[in-house]
Amino acid sequence: MLEAQDLRKSFGALTVTNRVSLEVARGERRVVLGPNGAGKTTLFNLLVGELPADSGQIRIAGQDVTALSMDARARRGMARSYQKNNLFSGLTVRENLSLSAACAQGKAKTVAMDSLRDAGVAETVQEMASLVGLTELLETSADNISYGARRRLEVGLALASRPRVLLMDEPTSGIGPGGIHAFHALLRGLPAELTIVIVEHDMDLAFDIADRVTVMNFGEVVFDGPPQAARESALVKDIYLGTWAEQP
Amino acid sequence: MFYQTPLKTAAILLLLTAALVYSLVAAFFGLEVLTEVAILVIVAIALDLVAGYGGMISLCHGALFGVGAYAFASATVLLGWDASIGLALAILTACLFAWVIGAITARTHGIFFIMATLAFGQMGYAYVFESRTFGGDDGLPGVPRLDLSGLGIDLNDSFNFALLCLALAAVAYLLAATLLRSGFGRTLVGIRSNELRMRALGLPVWRHKAAAFAISGALAGLAGALAAQHTMFVSPGLLHWTLSGELLIMVILGGLGTLVGAVVGAGLLVFLKHEVARFTEHWHLVVGLVLIAVVLGGGRGLYGQVEHLWERRQTARKAAAAAKETPEHA
Repeated sequence: MLEAQDLRKSFGALTVTNRVSLEVARGERRVVLGPNGAGKTTLFNLLVGELPADSGQIRIAGQDVTALSMDARARRGMARSYQKNNLFSGLTVRENLSLSAACAQGKAKTVAMDSLRDAGVAETVQEMASLVGLTELLETSADNISYGARRRLEVGLALASRPRVLLMDEPTSGIGPGGIHAFHALLRGLPAELTIVIVEHDMDLAFDIADRVTVMNFGEVVFDGPPQAARESALVKDIYLGTWAEQP
Repeated sequence: MFYQTPLKTAAILLLLTAALVYSLVAAFFGLEVLTEVAILVIVAIALDLVAGYGGMISLCHGALFGVGAYAFASATVLLGWDASIGLALAILTACLFAWVIGAITARTHGIFFIMATLAFGQMGYAYVFESRTFGGDDGLPGVPRLDLSGLGIDLNDSFNFALLCLALAAVAYLLAATLLRSGFGRTLVGIRSNELRMRALGLPVWRHKAAAFAISGALAGLAGALAAQHTMFVSPGLLHWTLSGELLIMVILGGLGTLVGAVVGAGLLVFLKHEVARFTEHWHLVVGLVLIAVVLGGGRGLYGQVEHLWERRQTARKAAAAAKETPEHA
């Protein structure tokens, strides 16, 4: 479903991703691990088109999207959530989700009707709000909800666009154990056909959901394989997992 | 997001009623001032559409206004076309000019967007100023008014012309409000709030911004055509950046991003200009002081502040009602 081949990105003399290749099957849950500065977020930025790659190719469902803009890739089914909340400030939770649903349903440009009152949009908003546990906060400004709720809205925004491929950049960063547990349940409840690539630092969560693990270090993929093999890899233990891999 | 709240409806109806009553009692000079306000209301609404709701602080709306005025004057005076065709041409030309500006500047932000629009506006001004065809700095006199004699309406009569401008200002408000309540308008607000996220959701942002700018330009062009008919004369001053600056002042004075604020601001600025000018030629100084007071007072503008207080009261009422409904814990 998602293929990246030999992706390379440099900022001046600094190479942040170097010949990164990734192949994610339809419905697969891929976890990308690596220490800070490994190039995980840059990889996401390259995949969604937020940054242009210096070289390499990106395909979604076999179609080459390397030359396409960020919005064109999104229209082909690519969505992402951000490491730092990137919401529509000043708007309510309902309005936030509506914007995403309206874009996905082709109702963002119409002058003939109010996308907020559209039945299809409203249905998606209710569904997504329920999925991410924000139904009670629909009329509250996104600026006035808790940090955990904002993290959930961040994911809800991406999901409301009904993507085929969802990239999640540290969705549980900054939230407590309770929030992580709830997020775990949310991930498990997502449609099986949805392809998910997730950067996550909570290892219990990451290894529980992962079908496959990719480990990056200094901008390069240093490991790609099943979760159990990652736990057993001396290299992965050395650069990232440390003593966590020894836990039962 | 834009909502046509009861407060907005009440404010617009109140302002429209006041204008209509004033038109009935006003003498010639009063009607001229009323016409000026109505025309400026249209272009201020056009500016609020992109600046208040789309986050595109434009310094070329004076030029769009001037392009409309010159397109109307050229069609009627230079080409001898019917004024109705001139009106359509004015709207289309300003719309097209605005689309080009919007398409080129849509990828810029903040100060760069402001400077780019200023540059486009000043290019238009410089071209007209130096063009012999358009009369250079002498402008074009003898601009006719629309001919509605078939309907028994003589637009050379100040009262009738003022009523036409008022009606068109009301139509401009309705159009802008309808647009802002549509999917297009909601998305425009989304772009203002977070352009990157809108792109991540699959929206070709620059096209949307250019389209919004074009619609705004069409309204500014309509206002320009009315201004040309009002004074029956056009001059390069109509395209000058100082007019764009005055339009921004109007919108900020009334309340940026409230739509009704554009109406209030246009009225307030014209009122200040004429009333203060009776006492001193330094009326700009007074406007400046009022603007500073508005900005220091929270920046919401006159109507914006009223709306803010009203919304706060509504929220407090809802919270009180919710607290009443919730049974107290023992």
